[in-house]
Amino acid sequence: MTVLPILKSATLAAVLFASTAVFASAKDVTISVWSGGSGPNDNYRTDAFDIAADILEREAAIRGQQLNIIVQKTPYSGWEDFKQALTLAAEAKKAPNIVATGHEDIGPWAQAGLIVPVENFIDLDSWPISDIYPNLMEITSFNGTVYGIPQDAESRPFFFWKPYMKAIGYSEADIEALPAKVEKGEYTLKNVLEDAKKMQDKGLVQTGYGFYPRNSNGPDYWQFYTSFGGVMEEEGKLVFDKAAMKRTYQYFADLVKAGVTKKNHIGMPGDQWWKEVATGKAGIWHGGTWHYARLVNQEGLKDFFTNVQFTLVPAGEGGKSNTLTHPLAYLLMAGHTDEETRIAADLIKIASEPRINALHAIKSAHLGISPSETKVDLYAADRWASEATERLLPHANAMPNNADFGKYWTIMWKNLEASWTGAKTVDAAVNDAETELKSTLGAAIIIR
Amino acid sequence: MRTSRALGLVMIAPAAVMIFLFFLMPVVLTAIFAMTNMSTATGISGGAWQVTQTAVNRLKAEMPELAGGIAEPRFVIDEEGLAALEALKLKAGFGTELRTSHMGEVFPSRREAERMIKALKDRPSTREVKQISDLFNRSVLNTRFETRDQLMASLKKLGFTLTPAEQETVAATTYTGWVWTTENFRIIRNSPDMAQIFLNTAFYVSVTLLLFNVSYALFLAITTHYMPASTASVFRAIWLLPRITPVVIYVLMWKWLTWDSGFISMFMGQFGYPPKNYLLDSANNAWFFVILINGFIGASMGMLVFSSAIKAIPQTQFHASEVDGASRWQQVRHIILPQLRWPILFVTCYQTLSLLASFNEILLSTRGGPGRATEVWSLAAYHTALNNYTGNLEYGLGAAMALVLVVVGIVLSLIYLRIFRYDTLISKPLIED
Repeated sequence: MTVLPILKSATLAAVLFASTAVFASAKDVTISVWSGGSGPNDNYRTDAFDIAADILEREAAIRGQQLNIIVQKTPYSGWEDFKQALTLAAEAKKAPNIVATGHEDIGPWAQAGLIVPVENFIDLDSWPISDIYPNLMEITSFNGTVYGIPQDAESRPFFFWKPYMKAIGYSEADIEALPAKVEKGEYTLKNVLEDAKKMQDKGLVQTGYGFYPRNSNGPDYWQFYTSFGGVMEEEGKLVFDKAAMKRTYQYFADLVKAGVTKKNHIGMPGDQWWKEVATGKAGIWHGGTWHYARLVNQEGLKDFFTNVQFTLVPAGEGGKSNTLTHPLAYLLMAGHTDEETRIAADLIKIASEPRINALHAIKSAHLGISPSETKVDLYAADRWASEATERLLPHANAMPNNADFGKYWTIMWKNLEASWTGAKTVDAAVNDAETELKSTLGAAIIIR
Repeated sequence: MRTSRALGLVMIAPAAVMIFLFFLMPVVLTAIFAMTNMSTATGISGGAWQVTQTAVNRLKAEMPELAGGIAEPRFVIDEEGLAALEALKLKAGFGTELRTSHMGEVFPSRREAERMIKALKDRPSTREVKQISDLFNRSVLNTRFETRDQLMASLKKLGFTLTPAEQETVAATTYTGWVWTTENFRIIRNSPDMAQIFLNTAFYVSVTLLLFNVSYALFLAITTHYMPASTASVFRAIWLLPRITPVVIYVLMWKWLTWDSGFISMFMGQFGYPPKNYLLDSANNAWFFVILINGFIGASMGMLVFSSAIKAIPQTQFHASEVDGASRWQQVRHIILPQLRWPILFVTCYQTLSLLASFNEILLSTRGGPGRATEVWSLAAYHTALNNYTGNLEYGLGAAMALVLVVVGIVLSLIYLRIFRYDTLISKPLIED
């Protein structure tokens, strides 16, 4: 009598167990992807994984495995909140599998063990990784280990509103020759100030709109430091070139003094900034290649090339013209099973294939990551991508991957902001920066 | 007696637990964090031991021999690795081929070793290539060791027997996690910016407190006291609006007022002034609005407390003074203010602490700008520890800043209790003796 019920439940248990086994072979894997700084044009940073997952599932099916990948996408439009959320989630062991972030995060995150080297999971000699520009792979390495796969490239040009340039005496030919003059160092940041002033004096733009820089902190400001002869890192050590930094701070103070840039420019609403540069309220400004996408797609500047000229960041005293590339990279976060991370790595590899990456590059006006990507029709047919690649990318340098760079950056920025707004004199700002760098970074930074 | 005392303890236990968990523990944890150099780069949960290129560079000065020996990655095809490979039970062909064709080969990088492994006739998968190359890794460079002993054991295997003192140096140089330090307080003391932020905070708290949270609140309470009841309640309700409006919306309305395309700009445009961002135009402007934004919220709290305290004053005192021919000002001076000492102490003390600690209105309106002009201590602590553009979250330094705030708060409270003679306020009235 008692044997039967036991037998019954045992059978039931066995059936249940067997059924789970069947389900288990049809594997469900959830891969979460976060991305920072992703506006409406950057959706392929995460959407690429839908396509990659589909391909990987099909490949698995052909091998006779049933793989079901659920991609959870979390794009963040800004940086502050994204980095806060991601760092704290990772500390709480709730990190996503994949994250697309600026390459400068690799240093601190690798040291903290928040990310695992991508080279442990991906064969770097295999296509399409082997095809990625070597300097980009260099940018996503830290301590000789490849931690990330470049997700995009870009560079940061100066923009000139052509009608106003003509109004202050530049001929069509002069404007066409401007990029070459900037590259050779014949047109400098000093000329930028003068031309901006001329535009204002002629009443073409309002006071404070002659030169209209980025309205918030960004890698862009390191370009000016480079223009004035500064170096960010040498042989693995950060460098604070006091004279170059002083010239940089002085330049922005001079811009404000001349009235061509607003004293309270930093912190102005972003939407307003975009609207103004797209409608010709500003004479000269700077930004990134991706600005093209926003100006054309969201801000309605349809005839970009008739209205806007773009060049490298002009040289200043003691430096040369330059631009900065700030590639985002796909990183693998720690704290997941080996198998999940392997699938995540496979997905990154597929998402880095030329045709898929070109979707992001062209939609968001970033630059491609590999030579073969430039041959994809979508990319090759895009005027902006090809011109920007040719004019800017060969001159691009990048911020260093250094675990202490963030500290340096924060100190550099807050003193630039202080001297810009007049809260400190230029001398005080540079000295304060030096004092604080010495006390916080000590021997990790060369001060000269 | 004893049981009632025990009962008292039981009754207070839940509150005591709450106080411990939500008031005391955060302070204790802040103090603990403040004594560390925790940041994004060190992580919170502890670190590992990793011989990075940077660590090798640092070791060069003190232990050149060791630094030279571990500076290069090395992959060696040897018996030990082959034995480990057999234990993995992958395809037998891998081991056989490695033994016959590659025995004793040395590769200067992982990538080169893996290129050889990849080319084995049995074609290992990427996963297997990684597994196999790990077995032949004969260097410690870039390997993450979870414990110090593992690192030391690996160094020993490489032929470096270190004295305890040397082990200490190597461990300290290669440790990636946080360490105990008092450095944060030194940074706070020496940084010129911290001094500026401290002054900002003192200015912000004292001006908002004096002008709005106490004076203006008193003014509102007294004027509404002399109004007909229905008018008074309308006025009080209006002054409560800033407090009951969600802070995001409340600050957004201020932004609409002050932006380039906002109301003030539009209004001034009628008189030919070009539009400008009045909120962030200058440090003075920013302070003006920051203090108004906070003051309007703070005033309502004082108004409520003072109004009810004035209500509690027996009407007879007012009637009697009127009979004696006292003016309104004399009533305020001799009846209301003396009896408001206790609520004023409370409001001053409470609002000082809340102004010191609250930064949400500033964060939402100026974000501390322009040029960090309105950056107050609590906001700076938040920016340092939890939210900044570069993502370099310095938990240790931020906690130390928060701890300074706790200490300042306690000191100020003690001073207030002294100034308002708290002891006389709580002593029994002489009349009942």
